[in-house]
Amino acid sequence: MSVLRLSLQVLLVITSLILTLLILLHKGRGGGLSDMFGGGMSSSMGSSGVAERNLNRFTIAIGVTWAVVIVLLNLIYRFFPDAF
Amino acid sequence: MLTAFFRAFRTPDLRRKIFFTVAIMALFRLGSYIPTPGVDYAAVRRCVDLASNSSSSGLYELVNLFSGGALLQLSIFALGIMPYITASIIIQLLTVVIPRFEALKEEGQSGTAKLTQYTRYLTIGLAVLQSTTFVAISRQQGGLFTNCTETLIPNDDLFTLGVMVLTMTAGTGFIMWLGELVTEKGIGNGMSLLIFTSIASAFPGSLWSIKTQRGFNTFFIVIGLGLLIMAAVIFVEQSQRRIPVQYAKRQVGRRAYGGTTTYIPIKVNMAGVIPVIFASSLLYLPALIAQFQGQNSTAGWVVWIRDNLVKGDHPIYIALYFALILFFTYFYVAITFNPDEVAENMKKYGGFIPGIRAGRPTADYLEYVLSRITLAGALYLGMVALIPLIALILVDANQNFPFGGTSILIVVGVGLETVKQIESQLQQRHYEGFLR
Repeated sequence: MSVLRLSLQVLLVITSLILTLLILLHKGRGGGLSDMFGGGMSSSMGSSGVAERNLNRFTIAIGVTWAVVIVLLNLIYRFFPDAF
Repeated sequence: MLTAFFRAFRTPDLRRKIFFTVAIMALFRLGSYIPTPGVDYAAVRRCVDLASNSSSSGLYELVNLFSGGALLQLSIFALGIMPYITASIIIQLLTVVIPRFEALKEEGQSGTAKLTQYTRYLTIGLAVLQSTTFVAISRQQGGLFTNCTETLIPNDDLFTLGVMVLTMTAGTGFIMWLGELVTEKGIGNGMSLLIFTSIASAFPGSLWSIKTQRGFNTFFIVIGLGLLIMAAVIFVEQSQRRIPVQYAKRQVGRRAYGGTTTYIPIKVNMAGVIPVIFASSLLYLPALIAQFQGQNSTAGWVVWIRDNLVKGDHPIYIALYFALILFFTYFYVAITFNPDEVAENMKKYGGFIPGIRAGRPTADYLEYVLSRITLAGALYLGMVALIPLIALILVDANQNFPFGGTSILIVVGVGLETVKQIESQLQQRHYEGFLR
């Protein structure tokens, strides 16, 4: 079990890093706190080009993988307590 | 009101936006329940139960409030949006200090985009920092829960801890992205809606704990009081002073421009809830630093902080909180509203306030009105933020009294904002909205 756990952990490290990177690549929307409370309809619909759309797709794919790995790891910890 | 509500769902694109937003909120809540791999979830549950029964207020109350209970459960979204808020505060304060940031802010759209990008980098940095300290704290026995001796992280070799830190950091980034998605494709501002979600999610639980502890009478009294406070808060949030502005009539070619009377709305509470968030975040820092010194440190200042700044009902704490809120209200209004600029713009387009000369006197007048109305706003913010503390003393309630303080301000503020946005979208089709 510990081999599986270790490989999942390594996978989790990799996906976490990629996920963070991909998210940082996105263009930030909604300029922080300044328009957080009481900004109104300032956010224009800005053109989300092909690049941004593909980036979204990648991010979703990596995000799903990330979540699945986390759930699997948690299941291992839950049902094989000696794997800690 | 109800017909407008149904109409919102009958408009296809608005319906899609609302469902999208709700789905993101659900995803956010779901993530708050997934424990970080490496945590002994059963032990965490036992400790949370113990802590909620003993009703002793821990240090992490506020942060836990902002993360919707995810923090104490050590979930993958444990840090919530707190790093993003902190990063925004820091960048916001830096625009006053660093000339380059100020230049960027004045640049308009592209400069703001750059500032947002800086905020996002800083968020990830802060997330790494906070998750590291957080994992380190929960590694020690009794570090996270003062009176619970369970081992929360059974295997604490460096690799497992590193994986946990990375996971939490990625989780924080993911939340940031979710918020941005809501801002872009959904309704309302994503970040504030996520804060709203986590705070509102704490309501049912704390209300129910009031019921179990004190019975149905107190329960209904609290709900009634809460609704009353909410109505009062909405009343003040909506109130504004309207300074009349007269525009001179001008003839350009064959068309006549201007000649209209409008007003500059100056809200009583122009700063919104930001001062409250700033003040409570700042007050939380000394407690956090004291926590790093360990449970039984006897250094003088650590003891002083523990005695005076950790408990929410201590007079020094209350006074400091109030003073900080007053300060930040003025600070934030000064940042966001510039009377000189407004006066200059009015002069350019031939507008004037009746009885006051254009230019410098107008700016002075605006300044005068603004500083006086902001005093009322600041006092109001301070009072509302102190409601839970007063309730604590009066009825000896739990410290996380559900209606009051930071939570009610944020919930009402965000709710109003979102409803207004839905309404303005509705008005593109029909002229009748929620608010009359």
